[in-house]
Amino acid sequence: MPLVAVVDDEKPVRTALTRLLRAAGMEAEAFAGGAEFFEGVQSRRPECVVLDLHLPGMDGQQILERIRRMAEPVPVIIVTAHDTDEARARCLAAGAAAYLSKPLDDRLLLNAISAAIGKAAGGRKQILPSKETPS
Amino acid sequence: MKSLAGALQWGKRAGLDSRALVAPLVVALGYYLANRLGFAFTLEPYPISVLWPANALLLSALLLIAPRRWWLVLAVALPAHLLAQLQNEVPLAMVLGWFASNSSEALIGAGLVRLFVPWPQRLRLDSFHNAGVLLLLACVAAPFLSSFLDAALVRLTGWGQVGYLQLVQVRFFSNVLASVVIVPLVLGLAALEPRRLREAPPERHAEAAAVLGGVILTSLAVFAMAHFDPAHAPALYYAPLPFLLWSAVRLGPSGTSVAIAAMTLITIRGAVQGEGPFAGGTPEQIARTLQIFLIAVSVPLLLLSVVLEERARAGRELRAQREQLTHLSRVAMLSDMSGGLAHELNQPLTAILSNAQAAQHLLANRNVDEAELGEILRDIIAADQRAGDVIRRLRALFRRGETAFERLDPHELVREVMTVAHGDLVTRGIETAFELEAGLPAIEGDRVQLQQVMLNLIMNAADAMASRPERLLRVLTRAEAHGVQLSFLDSGPGFSADIAEKLFEPFYTTKPQGLGLGLSISRSIVAAHGGRLWGRSNGRAGAAFHIVLPAAGRRAPDDG
Repeated sequence: MPLVAVVDDEKPVRTALTRLLRAAGMEAEAFAGGAEFFEGVQSRRPECVVLDLHLPGMDGQQILERIRRMAEPVPVIIVTAHDTDEARARCLAAGAAAYLSKPLDDRLLLNAISAAIGKAAGGRKQILPSKETPS
Repeated sequence: MKSLAGALQWGKRAGLDSRALVAPLVVALGYYLANRLGFAFTLEPYPISVLWPANALLLSALLLIAPRRWWLVLAVALPAHLLAQLQNEVPLAMVLGWFASNSSEALIGAGLVRLFVPWPQRLRLDSFHNAGVLLLLACVAAPFLSSFLDAALVRLTGWGQVGYLQLVQVRFFSNVLASVVIVPLVLGLAALEPRRLREAPPERHAEAAAVLGGVILTSLAVFAMAHFDPAHAPALYYAPLPFLLWSAVRLGPSGTSVAIAAMTLITIRGAVQGEGPFAGGTPEQIARTLQIFLIAVSVPLLLLSVVLEERARAGRELRAQREQLTHLSRVAMLSDMSGGLAHELNQPLTAILSNAQAAQHLLANRNVDEAELGEILRDIIAADQRAGDVIRRLRALFRRGETAFERLDPHELVREVMTVAHGDLVTRGIETAFELEAGLPAIEGDRVQLQQVMLNLIMNAADAMASRPERLLRVLTRAEAHGVQLSFLDSGPGFSADIAEKLFEPFYTTKPQGLGLGLSISRSIVAAHGGRLWGRSNGRAGAAFHIVLPAAGRRAPDDG
């Protein structure tokens, strides 16, 4: 069961999203912000992050950039309640796997998550064998 | 009934609606009664009344209807004239002559007035211009010009026993007085709006009744007192004056004309019966004294009421414009916040949709836990209520309503403003900190307008911090000597001290897209609440804007 992290500062929203992901057969964990998320990542690495763009303190864009700088970046799906073309372009350029606007249709979100996990796994598979070849 | 229906049919064919047919009938009846009243006010042996209201009534009717229908008014007045005059055993030639001179006065007056205030402009006594035109042309020029004709006719038929110029004089004063009393009265009554009368607060009705009662009682008392103290009788003329002044100041031209008419009727009735301070001397002397006194009192009072009404209207218009501008600036501000407001609604919508779809998945997988379903429903309801709350606050802010003062909790006001501003602040990456002092007194004010001021300060702060790495808005409240202080502190670049006051001038702005009205409107709103609004720059620490509002009960809300 893949683990998906949900980062949203508003409790009702992150509760609803984790509930949806769990009901759809995934494992989900909720985080209120960037600091909490990066702390959580150390104990268990999620396979995908559903990340709200507007967060107090470290905002979604900064979190996305920091995730992309990780040794093995987790795919990030940006979700926002304030959709602008500019933010969409900036997030996709920064390496977001998808950019979705709230309210989220479940199929759209679940498909985006599967696609992101699949793509990341595919990418890892391509890399890992070459690393593993010597052994 | 058939004949009435037939007449209406005929009227329609002739291009007249039923209202246009009713009006002349009212005129005919009024004209008849005015004739009877005029006869009652005739001091024998003069053939001319102290007050002859019929001509003034005819003139008022012409002023109220289209010139192309004036013939109709004269046509229906003729039978009324004949009916009234022939009862008094006046010779037919004189009766017809008087109809000609009466009609000529009405036509001259209405014609002259309509040269300056062209039909279909309504002749309301609400401007000095209209009042001047009416008094000069309808009430003085028309009686003056037609009096020569009238006196000539009286001489020709041999009805009167006095000289020509004397007849001109007697008739002139009689008809000037009638016009000054009747024309403003009819125009004022015609301009009354029943809806506004019904909606007027009871204290206004009580005041009008008190003024009118005062005029009637003092006018009656004048006659009673004249018996006791004949030496000072002339000074008693002025007894109703305080009430007349009161009516001019508070009741407008309509109320003033009613008060003047009441005093005139009582005074003339008393004089004709040979009572009161106006009695004594020849009938002609009595009539002249009475007329000059009544004209001299009525004209300045009417003009005073018109000028005051004009000023009051200008004040009302100014207030309406200010309210409109306040509303427009509020709507403009809300439209600038549309992105943030969408965020504020999309968040609860997300919670609702995702919760509902989670439940669908659970049902599809037959994996339903009742407790979880209950939680889902509870969360959906909470999110729905939050979205509803935002929409309610928004609707209140968008609405264009009259200023309404109520008792308000300053912190509730802050919370409500934050429901609307939250989305905008979040999407702009602005953090908020609150330092709210407990136990603040309540304030009194217009909820929407005070929220507008606070939103304006919050949005200004957000704009100021747009390009700063640290974006923190602090909202502070604390008790003041006699009220409450609300402060909004940003971490923007601040402003130079010399523009601290300029910021509040209309059309002064530091924003590329700004109109420069926000702070100027905000300051006038706060001032109308008896409070103060000012800004200080804290150098690199940003800017601070403070509102001080008096505690409830410290100050009665003004209507300005």
